[in-house]
Amino acid sequence: MFLALREIKRAKVRFSLLVLAIGLLVFLVLFQIGLRDGLIGQFVGALRHQNGPIVAFDSQARKNIEGSRITGDEQTALSKIEGVGRVGPLGESTFTVSNAVSRAKTVAKDRLIDAVLFGYQINGPSAGLGAPTTLSKGRLPRSIYEAVASERNRADGFDIGDVVRVEPDGVEITVVGLATDINYSVSPTLFVSWETYLAAHKVRNPEASIVFPSVVLIEPAQGTSVPALVERLANVPNVVVLTREDAVAQSPGVSSVSQSLNTVIGLLVITALMVIGLFVLILTVQKSASLTLMRAIGARPRKLAFGLLLQTTIVVLAGVIVGAMMMAAVAPQLNSIGVAFGFTQAIWVGVGALVVGWLGSIGAVLRVLSIEPISATQPQGMLR
Amino acid sequence: MNLAWKELRRRPGKFAVAVLTLTVLAALLLFIASLLDGLFLGTTGAIRVQNADIFVYSNASRDSFLRSTITSSTRTEIESVAGVAATGGLGVTLLGAAVPGESALADVAVIGYELAPHGIPVPPKPGQAYADERLKGFGVGLGDTLEVGPQRNAITVIGFVSGSNFLLQGGLWVEPGTWRLVQNSNRPDAPVAASDFQVMLVQAKPGHDAAALADGIDASTKATSSLTKAEAQNSLPGTKEQRSTFNSILATTYLVVVVIVALFFALLTLERVALYGMLKAIGASSRQLFFGVLLQAVVIATVAFAIAGALVAALSAAAPAQLPLQIQSSRVVTSYLILTFCSAAGSLLSLRRVSRIDPAQAVGSAQ
Amino acid sequence: MTNTPSANALELHEVTKVYGEGDNAITALASATLSIAGNEIVALVGPSGSGKTTLLSIAGGLLSATSGQVVVGGKDISKASASELTEVRRSSVGFVFQSVNLVPFLTARENLMLVDELRGSRGKQSKARADRLLGELGLAQRVNNLPSQLSGGERQRVAIGRALMNEPALVLFDEPTSALDTTLGEQVMGLIQSEVKGRGTAAIIITHDERMTHFCDRTVHIVDGRLQREAMATAD
Repeated sequence: MFLALREIKRAKVRFSLLVLAIGLLVFLVLFQIGLRDGLIGQFVGALRHQNGPIVAFDSQARKNIEGSRITGDEQTALSKIEGVGRVGPLGESTFTVSNAVSRAKTVAKDRLIDAVLFGYQINGPSAGLGAPTTLSKGRLPRSIYEAVASERNRADGFDIGDVVRVEPDGVEITVVGLATDINYSVSPTLFVSWETYLAAHKVRNPEASIVFPSVVLIEPAQGTSVPALVERLANVPNVVVLTREDAVAQSPGVSSVSQSLNTVIGLLVITALMVIGLFVLILTVQKSASLTLMRAIGARPRKLAFGLLLQTTIVVLAGVIVGAMMMAAVAPQLNSIGVAFGFTQAIWVGVGALVVGWLGSIGAVLRVLSIEPISATQPQGMLR
Repeated sequence: MNLAWKELRRRPGKFAVAVLTLTVLAALLLFIASLLDGLFLGTTGAIRVQNADIFVYSNASRDSFLRSTITSSTRTEIESVAGVAATGGLGVTLLGAAVPGESALADVAVIGYELAPHGIPVPPKPGQAYADERLKGFGVGLGDTLEVGPQRNAITVIGFVSGSNFLLQGGLWVEPGTWRLVQNSNRPDAPVAASDFQVMLVQAKPGHDAAALADGIDASTKATSSLTKAEAQNSLPGTKEQRSTFNSILATTYLVVVVIVALFFALLTLERVALYGMLKAIGASSRQLFFGVLLQAVVIATVAFAIAGALVAALSAAAPAQLPLQIQSSRVVTSYLILTFCSAAGSLLSLRRVSRIDPAQAVGSAQ
Repeated sequence: MTNTPSANALELHEVTKVYGEGDNAITALASATLSIAGNEIVALVGPSGSGKTTLLSIAGGLLSATSGQVVVGGKDISKASASELTEVRRSSVGFVFQSVNLVPFLTARENLMLVDELRGSRGKQSKARADRLLGELGLAQRVNNLPSQLSGGERQRVAIGRALMNEPALVLFDEPTSALDTTLGEQVMGLIQSEVKGRGTAAIIITHDERMTHFCDRTVHIVDGRLQREAMATAD
């Protein structure tokens, strides 16, 4: 152990470069994971954190809420299926809004931004179906023109007490509650009553004859399980019915983002494996004379191999710390583009990096274990 | 340098480590860059192909196609602004379309147009469309009649065009009446009146600056927000964020290349201390030796890039239509140049070590 | 670096080399004075740490002396800069090292042509000269072999050829026979003698082995950094 640590101390440049390489790779992996999880959350957080367990889409919409419309006939057909408990509309649309009355001093009163409105029933038989499940402050809307806003955007004029106006010159909605992770399409998001949602649509399209819900939410009746009901609902024509979790996972944006970023993460892991494994092997080959000498004077092979693994562990852990620190430094600035970073992520990536490092060192360890002490007595001869 | 070249040819195994690692990194760089380009081109295609200088949106739409409406009276006002040569309406509806013989729906963007964009003929007859090639990946063929949207509006494909998609959905280019029919049937919550469009395209008269004309239009109508073509592309949702995110990833990955090449040559130089000592003893200068290192760094990067390029090209050919990979030749050239530069920069670390090798070490040094 | 008219390949006048400073100073070479004529072979003998390597390194332009005058092939290199010394090594001096002699990935011929390449000249002439030299050294059939494909003695002969490639005024041999058995060692020494004498080149040979000194014109002993008596070699 003493020798292994001594070597690191004497060859600071080499080991520092290796640590830096691993640190950058770890940073990239953390960045990709944070981007993937953060984007997914920001894309479909609202869908993930509403309380309707089953979601019915228009079959033409390819599981995209934005492109989906459920007609009255389809809603009726769904509610007639055995095992259906409550059925309620969920409307989703993006509106241009301004902050007419805002406590946030940094928000200009006439600034126009995009906000997504989700409309659900707060009264009647399906009251509360579609409400956000991650309320962190305040309360759910109890009447028209009230909203729960995405907590991420509270400082942008979406705090409790702020009034959001649908432009042009439209309805004014008061924020009465905040919920975490309810963004949609990387935009500020408001959960409002169905009536508020209709009123907002009217502002934008006064000629609109009818506003269909984007999707319909379904609760199973007592004694019916969600999977069983989803299976039965599959026979209803012109709709695609999914559990909430499947709806999130199969959202078009989510699957392509996950696919792409997972490919990138995979390539980074391969790179890390190669960098650590192959460079540790080179280092071992370079010091094979010293290792042979130590074997000749009585060092056990396992001890030498342990020293090598210790160096790998130190280098990888140092790299993980460097990478995590880089990520922690840039994460606050990346919040707005949806990159999430947590301590737990860093721990898991660290564990993964160690495993990758040890796997990568197998070649070097085998080489160390195969050294024959007798070769210490042979002449070095010409330069290899 | 001849020495360095001979070492590369005679001892390729020595450089295999660096080549393999750089190949993976180069593949990563090309993959990310191709994804970025594919996303950008697939998102903005319908805008980039337009034969127009300015895109005019309604004021409150926040430059969103889907929330903008330009009425015929606003159009008249636009046309009266000095510097406007011609105008053409544009409207887009995003829907799913049933393709004959296919079970899965195709994502389409039904685009009603007046001014013929680059590479796209003048508007076809009602009920007909020019389809973007992307839709071939969904099984669309020449002559196919697609059923668009929940109302299953029939649109027959009479030809294919390229680079004309919108928000990653395959473009179906139709005459304005067909578009209005599709929009009003499938989006009763956002109907469009006859002669209305979502966006008005403007061609500027020669000698008129597009940005200045855009400002002039907005000042005149007081109800519009006019953008140049570049601004219109950047206004599409997610475009700017995508670009900055991906570019950060690319920049960091290039930094990884620098560090890895630096590490590799640091280790290699260490191995070569005795050889370099001997070469310096017989008259090699540090500069000669270092240029050899530089040459090797460039060759390694070149070989790695060539292999990576082939891999990513194969991946792109095999990738499903939903994964928007697009390999642009300009991007390939830029990526190669930056990779080579980073590799050369990484090898610079060895310069110090090479200069410090003492030729006197060669004498009296039994290994 | 100045040109001094001289028939000697090497002249050292009161050359001293001190490493370190103050209490840590070590005098590796003290007031060494030595002249070697144009085609003379001198054996330099001494125990380990006696200063042989230091003297050889100074003579070959690998090290600068702390004080004294060093003239190689008529050029005073006492105050030469690092780049001037590099030029001297390229043009006026040849080396055969004890251990690292040949570039392992170059053939025998290429190891010789390397010398010309370092001087900026390449081409058919260089190749012809290399082949001729290797032929004279009995390696005509081995020109395309890598060092790993040559025996110990053959490698040493290639190294000699490389040292002679730039037609130096002075060739410096550092223990050329230490890795060879007696018979092979004598063969190599014989070859050195004939090649060096045949070209009118001077040579210094560091050797521990007194049995090899009879190939030299004279033997110079060095102990604790000081040159001792000179002995004439007995003729064969």
